[in-house]
Amino acid sequence: MTNDSYDKPMPEPTPDSAPYWAGLQQHKLLLQKCAGCGRIRHYPRPMCDACYSTDVTWVEAAGRGKVHSWTITHHAFVPGFRDELPYVLATVDLEEGVRMNAQLRGADPVSLRIGLPVRVDYERAREGLTLPILRAEG
Amino acid sequence: MPLPADTDASTPKYLRDKYAIVGVGETVYTRGSGRTTRAMGSEAVRNAMADAGLKPGDVDGMLSYQGVDSTFGPMIAGDCAMRLNFYMDVFGGGSSTEALIGIAIGVMEAGLCKCVAIFRSMNGFSQVRIGGTGARSAAPVSGDMLHTRAYGWQSAGQSFAPTFMRYMHDYGTTPEQVAMVKVIHSEHASNNPKAYYKKRMTVDDVVNSRMICKPLHLLDCCVETDNATCIIVTRAEHAKDLRHTPALIRGVVGRCNKPRMDMHYQAGPISRVAGWYAKDILWPNSGVGPEDIDVTGAYDAFTFTTMLQLEDYGFCGRGEGGDYVSSGIMRLGNKRPNNTSGGHLCEGYTHGMNMVIENVRQLRHDIDDSCPIGPDGKRQHTYDYKEGGCRQVKNVEVTANLGWAMPGTGSAMVMRRG
Ligand SMILES: [Zn+2]
Repeated sequence: MTNDSYDKPMPEPTPDSAPYWAGLQQHKLLLQKCAGCGRIRHYPRPMCDACYSTDVTWVEAAGRGKVHSWTITHHAFVPGFRDELPYVLATVDLEEGVRMNAQLRGADPVSLRIGLPVRVDYERAREGLTLPILRAEG
Repeated sequence: MPLPADTDASTPKYLRDKYAIVGVGETVYTRGSGRTTRAMGSEAVRNAMADAGLKPGDVDGMLSYQGVDSTFGPMIAGDCAMRLNFYMDVFGGGSSTEALIGIAIGVMEAGLCKCVAIFRSMNGFSQVRIGGTGARSAAPVSGDMLHTRAYGWQSAGQSFAPTFMRYMHDYGTTPEQVAMVKVIHSEHASNNPKAYYKKRMTVDDVVNSRMICKPLHLLDCCVETDNATCIIVTRAEHAKDLRHTPALIRGVVGRCNKPRMDMHYQAGPISRVAGWYAKDILWPNSGVGPEDIDVTGAYDAFTFTTMLQLEDYGFCGRGEGGDYVSSGIMRLGNKRPNNTSGGHLCEGYTHGMNMVIENVRQLRHDIDDSCPIGPDGKRQHTYDYKEGGCRQVKNVEVTANLGWAMPGTGSAMVMRRG
């Protein structure tokens, strides 16, 4: 850990996920695309479970999807998130056919529902780390 | 319930009834044990040996599971004066109990040893909390946790909540229906002198308790405690020399998985749990089905985990879990009681061990409640389930344990009275 005030879990990119984290810095949501069979997968991982190829290309996602499920956290499991309570966590079906997780921001809790259209936005968490966030569409 | 007449227990493939649980033991369920996991683990193993009537030379195998929060088996074995012919300490929490019982049967069948003590020792409240708070929360994240913990998505409750929310959405299940799991388990715990929480709760108590992570209220979550537990498994033919009626093992499923166990990225409905797959091993290998089961032990890390497992193992139809758990069927005195000890929600948190221990005692017809002890040294059960009363189920013959690690991973076991 560095000595700045960021007290949330700090991702350590792996060889498989580094392009994903670098893409977020550029405000791009990058998904792995199998170089063998073309299947898109997320989260980043080393091998295609359709054809076993380990070769990947990266494609930029449209950044749109629908809420598959969600939860609201009211308890500070991690001290670094205490000031954000309550916060919404959503798992979203992207248009590209994969699921992603992120915080959903700015939505009225009573409007939350499965199927809610969302778009991906970006938030600078600290120097060198940008995280994806979700916003309700329309 | 008697076994079906057409049960074929002779098929060697399934090892039905050839192994038995002959001893069980535990420490007190507490918050703030002030003891090491080695001290508690040794006590639990010693208690289980005494329960079975086994001496140190009789036990030559040891299995344990942990998450870098416990003591290795050989230390415990040494303290209990055993010389081991086999041991293994594996990584894991919930769902390990039944899986390790299966492993114990396998290694005994392979001739590696003849009697295995399985233990779990954890300061689950005062040292390593499974929610991942404290020391665990500061660690850097890697692997698939990059896509959860970095967003404040850390604890078991948070991880499972989308499964619960999706289930409620798809089937119209209400928080009040699910709360009945806690209500019923709290009634059972009130008849269990060992239980950490003995107070009977109402549906209002549950749904008015503070929200932890939607849809989980505080009282939908289990109680983290410090304790150790032990189960001893050996060949059924050795059981006749021991103290208790054996709990014969009919069939076991160990850490059965959904197609992807990294849950929020998986294909298919996230409201489906591993039991959907495990049931196709459990019931054929055990030669029984849900209707034959007298008592269930459906893992209650949360109220929801009990419901989802009972449904996917076939105790009710798809989407009927809310009706099942709120019908009262799981209550002592009714058709098929669940977690008669109070389970993880009330008795204590053991990663599944106490639910198996409870069913072993139910099968002995000698549950440790407050009923008076007769001249034969056995409790004279009243079958009066009022608060503080009996918790022995009448004429228990067959039980099922449904162990849970996460939505994508589960274990299970059917036992019958020997
Ligand atoms: Zn491929």
